[in-house]
Amino acid sequence: MKNIKEPFIHITRREHMPLWQGLLIRVAAVVVALVLSAILISAAAPKSQGFFGFFGSLFSGAFGTERRIWLLFQNTFLLLGVAVALVVAFKMKFWNLGGNGQILMGCLASAICMYYLGGKLPDPVVWLLMLVSSLVAGGLWAVIPAIFKAFFNTNESLFTLMMNYIAMYLVSFFISLWYPNGTGAMPPLTDGALPAIGEGAMSRAILPVIVFAIVTLVIYAYLRFSKHGYEIALIGDSKNTARYAGINVKKVIIRTLILSGALCGLVGFVLTGSVNRMVSTSMDGNMGFTGIMVAWMGKLDPLIMAGVSLFINFLERGMAQVITDFGFTSEALSDIVVGLIYFFFIGCEFFILYRVHFAGSKNKRTPSPEIAEGEAPKETPLPEEEGAKEARS
Amino acid sequence: MISFLTSAIEFGVIFLLGCVGEILTEKSGHLNLGIPGIMCMGAAGGCLGVKLCYLASPTPNAFLVVLMGILFAMLFAGALGGIYGVLTVSLRSNQNVTGLACTIFGVGFTSFFLNNAVLTEGVSANLSQAGLNFFNAPLPGANSLGWFGTIFLNHGVLVYLAIVIAVIAAVTLRYTKAGLNLRAIGESPATADAVGINVTRYKYTAIILGAAVAGLGGLTYVMDYMNGIVGSTVDQTIQGIGWLCIALVIFTMWRPALAILGSILFGALYILASYIKGISFVQMSLLNMIPFAVTILVLIVTSIIGNRETQPPASLGLSYFREDR
Repeated sequence: MKNIKEPFIHITRREHMPLWQGLLIRVAAVVVALVLSAILISAAAPKSQGFFGFFGSLFSGAFGTERRIWLLFQNTFLLLGVAVALVVAFKMKFWNLGGNGQILMGCLASAICMYYLGGKLPDPVVWLLMLVSSLVAGGLWAVIPAIFKAFFNTNESLFTLMMNYIAMYLVSFFISLWYPNGTGAMPPLTDGALPAIGEGAMSRAILPVIVFAIVTLVIYAYLRFSKHGYEIALIGDSKNTARYAGINVKKVIIRTLILSGALCGLVGFVLTGSVNRMVSTSMDGNMGFTGIMVAWMGKLDPLIMAGVSLFINFLERGMAQVITDFGFTSEALSDIVVGLIYFFFIGCEFFILYRVHFAGSKNKRTPSPEIAEGEAPKETPLPEEEGAKEARS
Repeated sequence: MISFLTSAIEFGVIFLLGCVGEILTEKSGHLNLGIPGIMCMGAAGGCLGVKLCYLASPTPNAFLVVLMGILFAMLFAGALGGIYGVLTVSLRSNQNVTGLACTIFGVGFTSFFLNNAVLTEGVSANLSQAGLNFFNAPLPGANSLGWFGTIFLNHGVLVYLAIVIAVIAAVTLRYTKAGLNLRAIGESPATADAVGINVTRYKYTAIILGAAVAGLGGLTYVMDYMNGIVGSTVDQTIQGIGWLCIALVIFTMWRPALAILGSILFGALYILASYIKGISFVQMSLLNMIPFAVTILVLIVTSIIGNRETQPPASLGLSYFREDR
């Protein structure tokens, strides 16, 4: 027995971890990533405001003025809307990476209604047409890959990715059709824009906040309590089980993706109709991708995702201020910090799902149940079960 | 026509490098959606390498400049590949999510790094000099052999390097023991583990090497195709190219040798719009859709045929944990 070489690190799957511990690990990971960014940025900045200045700027950028708070909430709920739209598909393990394209199609459909019908029809009719056409356009962009996935098992992640670019060039097609000066820019339209509610930054923020707060709650209930939600979850777990249970898998895939795409289209409708009043090829703001991160970090639960979305937008709005205060010129710095947060957040998941045992440490893995029971109890809430499981193996 | 063909080859090798890098990664069972970010990192690293040469001496050796560009491109891209590897191999994270995070980080990093650390005063001129004179130096005989010379010999060193890499990758995967082991891991890591193959080591090697090769694609775009001119939207352009590279892997059915032809075809489609005379912006946006539309068509056709030869590695996208059963 003495000659057996034991590996230095041994990994086992955790049976269970209490909620507060999981939260603690995640918060710790985010704090480490933020501290690391603060150190790097305050060291490299042309006009460094120091380590604590970083956090000062971060908070002031997000919450400093009333306008900033409204902007924060506007972006939070827009992103939440996209993330909720994508979650519907992710629950089914359908990788809808086409959020960007579906949003753009929604924007484009609204813009087309505004351009051709604005001022010619009564405003409420235009609004209704904008809403319907945005939902249809977004849904269409998602249902095409879904049909092929359902019938031929075509790879949906690449299909939806390619649809993003087709949507992007379709937008640039219409912009250069309407404004053939070659700049690719479009001035805001006034005819057919949704009415402002209130004044200042609030007037544009209030609509996304209300609409997507409602959407989030409805989708939460839809996934959790409705028969459709159950079917989606079952297909996500196992298509064969779902088929055996008598669910028409093809129908559910197509139906769910229409919903997912239409909700992205709704985001586009709000973006073009109320927030920007025009369309551009980058109007999606990459929310299709950020939304995936929000959905995944929020454990596919719309209510947790609301918090994650707030945090991501807090970072993005805050970083904009940091970039100005610290004398940087490139806005991309915010992507780096957010990217770092993603890495740490993704990495920390491992320590929630698995336990690491080091050879020679007290926490050593051993086939003997007595010693296993003596393992640091604060890490394992159910030492007996853990020991019993290890004794079996 | 001849200049269209040469440009198609020049642009095609960008796809080729990204595609071969992704094939290597996918053969180990890892779908790396971080390739767009990794290719950007290659461009950023390459520019830094070239800049360092000019900092050391105002008239650097051409060979040294190219070597430093290649080295730093592979280093930067390999580093991001390494992060992806740690997260997905050792920490067993979701590959799609990790890959997207890599793309967001890599694209942001490149945009920031190029603007703030590389493109200081005078460096743009250095970069375009290096791109034009060193990276694009033609082979001997390019001008004396007529159309043959113009199409096949008139390219920079990176174009030939790309084709050599693709051939080596094809031979290694098909005919060597290491290639067989890697393919076995991609099909069933548990089986490979049982016969004593070091799964973790192979996965790391394939991912980091694949990332380094893809990074060369970013370098090729900046230094060879753009002649060292670093535009403000370079990160966005490379990102679009990167997604097409991932699609090209499916188009070429995971075969590096086939990727040589596929990538030149994609290169031709990609630059088509700028080679048709008197085209309006309206028509241009429609033509720009073609490579993406063709990719979708290929995705559909290969999935309908459903041939075993055209299928991805069986364990693609799944994390491997030895103690699961």
